[in-house]
Amino acid sequence: MMCCAALLTVISGACGTSTDKANRASSISSSTGTAPTATSGAQAIAALPWDSVLARARGTTVLWRMWRGDPAINAFVDGWVAPRLLSHFGITLKAVQGQGAEIVNALVTEREAGAGKGTASLLWINGETFAQLRRERLLDGPWAGRLPNARYVDSSSAIISRDFEQDPSGFESPWGTVQFALIYDTVRTPNPPRTFGALESWIQAHPGRFTHDQGFAGVTFLKMLMYARSGGVAAYQGGFNEARYTVGRDSVFAWLRRTRPAFWRKGETYPPDVAAMHRLFANGEIDFSMSFNQNEVVTKVRRGVLPSSARALLLQDGTIANAHYVGVPFNAPNVAGALVVADFLLTPGAQYEKQRPAVWADGTVLDAAKLPAAWRSKFETLEQDPHALPADSLHKYARPEVAPMYHERLQADWRATIRHASK
Amino acid sequence: MTSRDGAGYLAVALIAAPVVAGGLYSLAATVGIAGAGADGFTTARIIAVFGDGATWASLRFTLVSAFVATVIATATALSVSVLLRRSRVARAAIAIPLAVPHAAAALGVLLLLGQSGFLSRIAYALGLVSQPADFPAIVYDRAGTAMILTFAWKEFPFLALTAWAVLDAADESLSQVAQTLGASAHDIFTRITWPLLWRGVAPAVIAVFAFLIGQYEMAVLLAPSDPLPLSMLTYERALDANLQRRGEAHLLSLIALALTIVLVLVHERFRANSDALAQVVEHDA
Repeated sequence: MMCCAALLTVISGACGTSTDKANRASSISSSTGTAPTATSGAQAIAALPWDSVLARARGTTVLWRMWRGDPAINAFVDGWVAPRLLSHFGITLKAVQGQGAEIVNALVTEREAGAGKGTASLLWINGETFAQLRRERLLDGPWAGRLPNARYVDSSSAIISRDFEQDPSGFESPWGTVQFALIYDTVRTPNPPRTFGALESWIQAHPGRFTHDQGFAGVTFLKMLMYARSGGVAAYQGGFNEARYTVGRDSVFAWLRRTRPAFWRKGETYPPDVAAMHRLFANGEIDFSMSFNQNEVVTKVRRGVLPSSARALLLQDGTIANAHYVGVPFNAPNVAGALVVADFLLTPGAQYEKQRPAVWADGTVLDAAKLPAAWRSKFETLEQDPHALPADSLHKYARPEVAPMYHERLQADWRATIRHASK
Repeated sequence: MTSRDGAGYLAVALIAAPVVAGGLYSLAATVGIAGAGADGFTTARIIAVFGDGATWASLRFTLVSAFVATVIATATALSVSVLLRRSRVARAAIAIPLAVPHAAAALGVLLLLGQSGFLSRIAYALGLVSQPADFPAIVYDRAGTAMILTFAWKEFPFLALTAWAVLDAADESLSQVAQTLGASAHDIFTRITWPLLWRGVAPAVIAVFAFLIGQYEMAVLLAPSDPLPLSMLTYERALDANLQRRGEAHLLSLIALALTIVLVLVHERFRANSDALAQVVEHDA
């Protein structure tokens, strides 16, 4: 009995997929950029007077699927954002683990199960996850431009207004910016290399003391190397170009083949993620760590994870900066609540708190010039941590992301030809 | 069909249903009609997985590391159970590795045996090594040395407890009769104790091997980045940046499922042998 029921579920699930596919195909051809359920969807709710959105959101719960890997971020979300949402708007915020590919897989499964409403109302996303969610029509919108605090967003910033070259089109709302940085120890390495060329010489002179991880930060490092070795970021802008990619990849792999024998463990094995790399760095096994947040060194030193002599380092060839966003899934059970949370994240108060070195040190997405004078001066006098990089040099060396396909292909090719062949 | 049989079938159905459902879903995802990145029926993923050197390297690494760890765990467990057969201290001490969670054990090994770990620091203090890289690389290494040792350390207590249970249950009268008939201690061990012990423990050994093939939480902390254990390769594919590639994870899961089914059959065969032997012994005694 049980077995038959399960079989039926699977079969009907599989059939559901093909019908879904047909529906999606027809809706893609008939319209672009509109929400699948226009009457109760995010677009319709965002069009309501804001008081009405607040009234609908009061007394509800918002489940937020987000990366839960950093205690500093968790403390900000659970200990600062959640209690304010409850007291100001009567919203209970529940943050649960789920990032990138996990989010896409979970939503595909929910759609196949055909259970109507899903579980999460808000998603923390960017880049390739946003691209995949849009391609699979798993995001609701547009709504982001309707948020009251959206007027403060720094829309002139290329980093914020384009997510890996994609137009967010109101299907995601920005809430922070980060920039890639190497991490080094001023005691161990008083004169660190500041270009990829100098880094190569340094690695050759210090065998076994450098590596990159296999995760997002590592691939971003390789992508920056690709910009630096072959044509600069401009060569890769304007969508994915196979021929251009091949040239760039080959120059990266040539650099790696030359330099890798002097990597940690001769480049035969790589740390799985930045957490493992921080551990190797703190233990003195390697001399550089890396992070896709220029200020991670600030929070990690404060928490004692990294030595107090650790500092962030920007390579002058340019380091990649990007923004991160929140989106609402197509099957969100609580759209009004999700919009109120997204708007709260854009308030000067939340953005200021988030940027404080003692909290998370995450970059703001607001334009100081658009803010009320009191907030503008608060942001301008935001305490600067001695471990943090000055804003002007961050800005000077920032390079935008390019089409997500560059990341995807570089990761796949690195795994298949460099990692697998590294014997 | 008795009511007892009925309950048995129901139990089998309850246990098998999720596996069957999951297997069918994975099959659908493998051929591109379900799951993330499904674009309609295709055999491309099957060709990709079986044509990928990483799959075969992963299978070989998974089977070899699980086998070596099982051999070490079994040898240790049998030695301990026979040599320390009456030791209450040994039986109590063995509960320690049993109680440590797998992930905690792996993390402990990482902190102990890593090139900048505790032992490396002691070696440095003693002047045996001058930098972390001089300490033997047995964590994240291609042979999976530390991973295999951790596997063995976590699994041998389970086998030792099984062995003790078998020895405790073994009828002393057999040995006594043999002794009366003039058998030496060596003869009693090789012809009575050992066959009983091995046949009693063998099903548990197969179970340990099957468990280690699917191990993830110890592997994720200690395995090399190439070759990847099957569980980690599957997870990597499930989260691949290329949506179309995620279906490959389902095929890798089916391969793991096939391995497990084979091992279940082997396990059942060993268990049947063991039961049959127990009945013969009972009858003779």
